[in-house]
Amino acid sequence: MNLFENIKMAIDSIISNKMRSFLTMLGIIIGISSVIAIVSLGEGGQNTITGEFEKIGVATIKITVKTAEAEKSDFITYKDVGQIKDKISYVKYATPYTYKQGTANSERKSKSAMFVGCNEDMYYIDNIELLYGRFFNNIEFEEGRAVVVIDETAAKSFFGTIDVVGNTINIGPTTSTKKATIVGVLKSQFGMFEGMVDDDMPAFIYVPGTYLDILYSTQSQISEMYIMADSKDNAEAAGILAKNMLMNRHGNRDRDLYKAESLMKQLDQINTVVGIFTAFIAAVAAISLLVGGVGVMNIMLVSVTERTREIGIRKAIGAKTSNIMFQFLTESVIISCIGGIIGLILGVSGAYLLGRLAGITPSVSPQIIIISIGFASAVGIFFGIYPAKKAAKLDPIEALRYE
Amino acid sequence: MIKIDNIIKTYTTGKINLTALKGVSLSVKPGEFVTIMGPSGCGKSTLMNVLGCLDKMSSGKYVLNGKDISGLVDNDLAEIRCREIGFVFQSFNLLPRMSILENVELPMVYAGVPKKERREKALEALRRVDLADRVKHRPNEISGGQKQRVAIARAIVNNPSVILADEPTGNLDTKVTKEIMKIIQQLNNDGATVLLVTHEPEVAQYSKRIIHMRDGEIIDDNEVIDRIVF
Repeated sequence: MNLFENIKMAIDSIISNKMRSFLTMLGIIIGISSVIAIVSLGEGGQNTITGEFEKIGVATIKITVKTAEAEKSDFITYKDVGQIKDKISYVKYATPYTYKQGTANSERKSKSAMFVGCNEDMYYIDNIELLYGRFFNNIEFEEGRAVVVIDETAAKSFFGTIDVVGNTINIGPTTSTKKATIVGVLKSQFGMFEGMVDDDMPAFIYVPGTYLDILYSTQSQISEMYIMADSKDNAEAAGILAKNMLMNRHGNRDRDLYKAESLMKQLDQINTVVGIFTAFIAAVAAISLLVGGVGVMNIMLVSVTERTREIGIRKAIGAKTSNIMFQFLTESVIISCIGGIIGLILGVSGAYLLGRLAGITPSVSPQIIIISIGFASAVGIFFGIYPAKKAAKLDPIEALRYE
Repeated sequence: MIKIDNIIKTYTTGKINLTALKGVSLSVKPGEFVTIMGPSGCGKSTLMNVLGCLDKMSSGKYVLNGKDISGLVDNDLAEIRCREIGFVFQSFNLLPRMSILENVELPMVYAGVPKKERREKALEALRRVDLADRVKHRPNEISGGQKQRVAIARAIVNNPSVILADEPTGNLDTKVTKEIMKIIQQLNNDGATVLLVTHEPEVAQYSKRIIHMRDGEIIDDNEVIDRIVF
């Protein structure tokens, strides 16, 4: 009696009980499909995040001042930024980063705004994709001119169109806005979240840091800057050198006031969080697999009772205990495997469907396919053994008498 | 060929011990056709089950084809049921979800016969019981007499040395009973050893030897006089 024979027999039996077999599979189908969908979406999400980060550039280093401990003289100046860029050979681009909230309005629309004060290097560091116009240049930064770069979402709500280069908007603190010229329109920054953006979202506006100081009448107390190294490998070193230079220039070497963080590290952190989250949900989904397994056992036990006479007949004509055992085990494994395959198909299609809605390209790894099918068969074996043993142990005479 | 010596079979149900066979001894030579008769509960079915290796005796000795069966384990007994013994039951005991051909093939599946050979042998067995034309049908699509013929085909397909028939005509009418007994007699003529249990004296007349049992013992054992031969 070979394996193929057994499989054929099991399939015949599954087919002759279509509805029941399907219901048995349902638990496995739900379990496998949800695990696959969740893990694929999770991995796809990680890939998307990694991709976004790589777009920004993993060679980017964020340098921050520990504002709680810093004195006024410890803050980064525009001159520091310039020196870091000029003197450290690893540093390709450097920009200050200040951030203010306020209002921006056109004749058509007034809305809250987030202003990012930076210099012309932000164009490279943020990997900005311009749709129209240009980013502001070094002269505009140095002179603190009233120029802005806005994104297409903001352009749409201010002017109704997106080609708005040359137009002016009023920007600044809500109480006193000033006129600024739009020199460029960039592609919406929201990427995968574009669909969630509505008109009430604050406008996102790049302003020369120097002009932002004028608008808000602040001294250039910069607590944050970004540098971009010439390569990923030099990023770490560039960060350390920049930190050193800041300490030298501010004469505060004795106090540890500056922090250099690579985005790579942040990326790792985010991926870890997403990974844990995915694993957690997948674990919850795996519980439904377990429940599905119990369902398989349940039905197999019913099936053994129902087929007691069949077992008796088979034994009478020469079936060994092992034949009967293997027959029932094959059945439960095949039910689980078919459930696993259906679950795989549903899970993958579900992942793509949901991924489409969320803007994530799911990543279906071969491992997850192998693991889930393997897990389904393991469930089939584990929960099939008890009923199969029960069937195999039946006394042939009593089984033959069973009505 | 079959030699049993002082077989005792005791069933224990709760605290009650029931002795179904109280020291039965019997010897059946190859080619014999033996009928076992007796009232209900006389132990004839138990004897058949022990002879068919379906049931284990409590004590005694059983030698089949020179092989001592007494101490064998389940797997060995299954092997003997598979190759040496063919069962025919009163209620046919065909598997309802399989076709007639598949039913007949099943013992060979357990005997490890290759698929192609199985088909040929199953068809051959079905020809011997005059049922070669409805092989694709399911058991519920044929008459009782035909079912019993399928069961006989299944019993002989592995070429067993002994055919054990437990009231094979119990569910059949007179006409069909004759047909079935004719087939069984033919198998015996072809060399099979047949043991048959029945209530009906006419059926016993087809055999060569009648054994009467009562209360777990053999009370007489005679040659058949006026045997009906087709």
